[in-house]
Amino acid sequence: MLKNYLKTAFKVFLRRRFFTFISLFGISFTLVVLMVVVSLLDHAFGALAPETRLERTLGVFFARMSGPMSSQGGEVGYAFLDRFVRTLPNIEKVSLSTYPGQVISYHRGEKLKSDLKRTDGQFWEILQFDFLEGRPFTVEDEKSANFVAVINQATRKKFFDDAPAVGRFIEADGQRFRIVGVVRNVPILRTTPYADIWVPISTAKSDGYKKELVGNFMGTILARHRSDLDGIRQEVQARLTRVEFSDPKQFNRYVAPAETFFEGISRQLFYNGREAESHPGKLLGVILLIMLAFMLLPTLNLVNINVSRIMERSSEIGVRKAFGATSWTLVGQFIVENVLLTLVGGALGFVFAFWALQGLTQSGLIQYAEFHMNYRIFLYGLAIALFFGIFSGMYPAWKMSRLHPVDALRGRSL
Amino acid sequence: MIRHLFKMVWNRRRTNALIILEILFSFLVLFGVTTLGVYYLNLYHQPLGFKYQNVWNLGVDVKINRNDEWTPEMVETARQVFLALQDFSEIEGFAGIQNRIFGSSTSTTQVGENQLSMQNEVTDRFKDVMGLQLTHGRWFDRSDDGVNYDPVVINERLRQAYFGSEDPLGKNIAHPKRERHRRVIGIVTDFRQHGELDSLSNYFFQRTRIGHPKDRPPQNILIKLRPGTTASFEEKLVTRLQAVARNWSFEVQPLSVSRESKLRWGLAPLIAVGIVATFLLIMVALGLVGVLWQNVTQRTKELGLRRALGGTAGSVQLQVLGELFVTTTAGIALGSLLIVQMPLLGVISNIGGAVYIYSFVISLLVMYAITTLCGLYPSSLATKVQPATALHYE
Repeated sequence: MLKNYLKTAFKVFLRRRFFTFISLFGISFTLVVLMVVVSLLDHAFGALAPETRLERTLGVFFARMSGPMSSQGGEVGYAFLDRFVRTLPNIEKVSLSTYPGQVISYHRGEKLKSDLKRTDGQFWEILQFDFLEGRPFTVEDEKSANFVAVINQATRKKFFDDAPAVGRFIEADGQRFRIVGVVRNVPILRTTPYADIWVPISTAKSDGYKKELVGNFMGTILARHRSDLDGIRQEVQARLTRVEFSDPKQFNRYVAPAETFFEGISRQLFYNGREAESHPGKLLGVILLIMLAFMLLPTLNLVNINVSRIMERSSEIGVRKAFGATSWTLVGQFIVENVLLTLVGGALGFVFAFWALQGLTQSGLIQYAEFHMNYRIFLYGLAIALFFGIFSGMYPAWKMSRLHPVDALRGRSL
Repeated sequence: MIRHLFKMVWNRRRTNALIILEILFSFLVLFGVTTLGVYYLNLYHQPLGFKYQNVWNLGVDVKINRNDEWTPEMVETARQVFLALQDFSEIEGFAGIQNRIFGSSTSTTQVGENQLSMQNEVTDRFKDVMGLQLTHGRWFDRSDDGVNYDPVVINERLRQAYFGSEDPLGKNIAHPKRERHRRVIGIVTDFRQHGELDSLSNYFFQRTRIGHPKDRPPQNILIKLRPGTTASFEEKLVTRLQAVARNWSFEVQPLSVSRESKLRWGLAPLIAVGIVATFLLIMVALGLVGVLWQNVTQRTKELGLRRALGGTAGSVQLQVLGELFVTTTAGIALGSLLIVQMPLLGVISNIGGAVYIYSFVISLLVMYAITTLCGLYPSSLATKVQPATALHYE
């Protein structure tokens, strides 16, 4: 039966090529846009290397101090992480690192800009970087403030023309580091691992950061097992009340939850001035709503085309009805046809999306981003295409099935 | 004739309802994009109020917390840095600024009962380094030392918004929580800190002094270079400063470069929205052609009958286009009903009435142009219907 449906559908598509073209154009364009959005989201939040163990990782990204008069929000400070997160029980590892900051180097009379991140030895054990040469720096290096650095491929290219760099020196922000390792580039959208140059925290120019509750740091927690994550969240939450303030009249409340990056972002976006709760569902809802709203016009367009295409087939419908086909069978048939069309459009959309993403990669607008199609994006795309096909086929199918066989046989319009 | 067209459309209201809905949404999309376009085009052509050419921004990170006090050593280091800057023959002048030009940080404060204004802290040389235009009063100078109020220089827009037609010089700007008054000593034409795409907002400057222990040190120093200074001066400058202040970080960027990157980042989302909207409209247009085409083939009988009864090809084409015109008008009218709500909801206050009206008119014309274009081929198809084939139908 399905085979017959597909055969009919194929014949119908070929009969009026202009219509098929319009439908495919609309479908594939819609899918391209949605796929690009999905891969951007996946690129920012999905489990991509070097964050391969994201399912048992939590971060402490943002903090907020509040008091009766004012509040101060931003990134977490070292003081909190060092005292309350580093000492968490029952976890595998914790790493502290700064958010990357821009540094300038003058190299052979040329000005080079790089993003520098200060971190510790555990960082390299939690995240699985791909080392092209050398090794990461160690916990020891950080403790004894050795001026060592790991750089990425792009930096090696800028400074040393792709020649082996381990053992050579790099100057950044007036400091000189010995290079111990070179890693593959990490895209800028990956907040936790991203940088061009990684150096030990203890090499910072001053140790003012050690007292900060709100500062420029993030904590990364690797749990032993996925099921421990809830316990870790609760433990961090419980420890917040133990934070001491230098001036309790100014600030007396501190919030810095352990969370996924997506939760952190949604908390920052929907911060309502009083509480610092995370709303990942809300953010997901908003994203889905925007995608649905975007699909509205393409759907209407497809519905319009479908409705007018059915007219052509009124005699076919009439015959099938006269021979006892129920309305539901016809609805089913039409939806199958429409889904088939959307899948063809979807396949085209994949190809175009692939090109669009390649263009985006090459434009360099998002630093070091390399968009590849992965199975997650493919599944999302398939889901979108199916949803789109069913959504846009429903009304025309319903309308078609209501046609009275006598009218249909006479070729009367709907 | 026109009444007749309405009747025809009404008779086929089921089919037309969907088309009207599609035109309605397209019109809303078109209006949204046009408004964005017109809004930013208008902003782009407004004067910046300053000259960024030959000026470098030197970001200074003194590595202390916001609330930490300056130690005497740091004050001394700051003094050394300024002496070093004065030493260079390439430098024409320099001035400090808290939030950088073409940067991302802004300070916003309340002025009066319910208005907001952006603010910045600058030093006395700022006006000359950036080439600001005073329209009234004077700029900051030494006579502002030790006064018991905070002298401010405001832009024309803030003057309009806060003082109206009054003379603002020597008057105070009220703030509900501040004890020290801000007193206006001068007015400049404008200052659009974030560049050409920055919204037109109220702005005022407060005075700060570099290297003065009581004033918060500005985080950025603007350096006006003598014409002809090359980019290689940068390394010389930073190396020298780094030698004087070993624990501080310096970072130099020509304002022209910051401006470029600000523009690029500001335009990228607009271009993306523009591309997506263009494709959406192309898709809608193609769909409309398809639907109209189908309608015409379906109405062969009716159109043929008209031809048989002596209707000319022109009148048939006019009928098809006329019906399309009525459908479009219905969609646009519904869309306009929604758009008219916007000023009532207060959205318009941000974009300005003129932009709103211009965008409305432009999108109206474009929408009619698109639908007419879409109708041309199907309507010419309608004229080719032969009375004989039409009457032969079935």
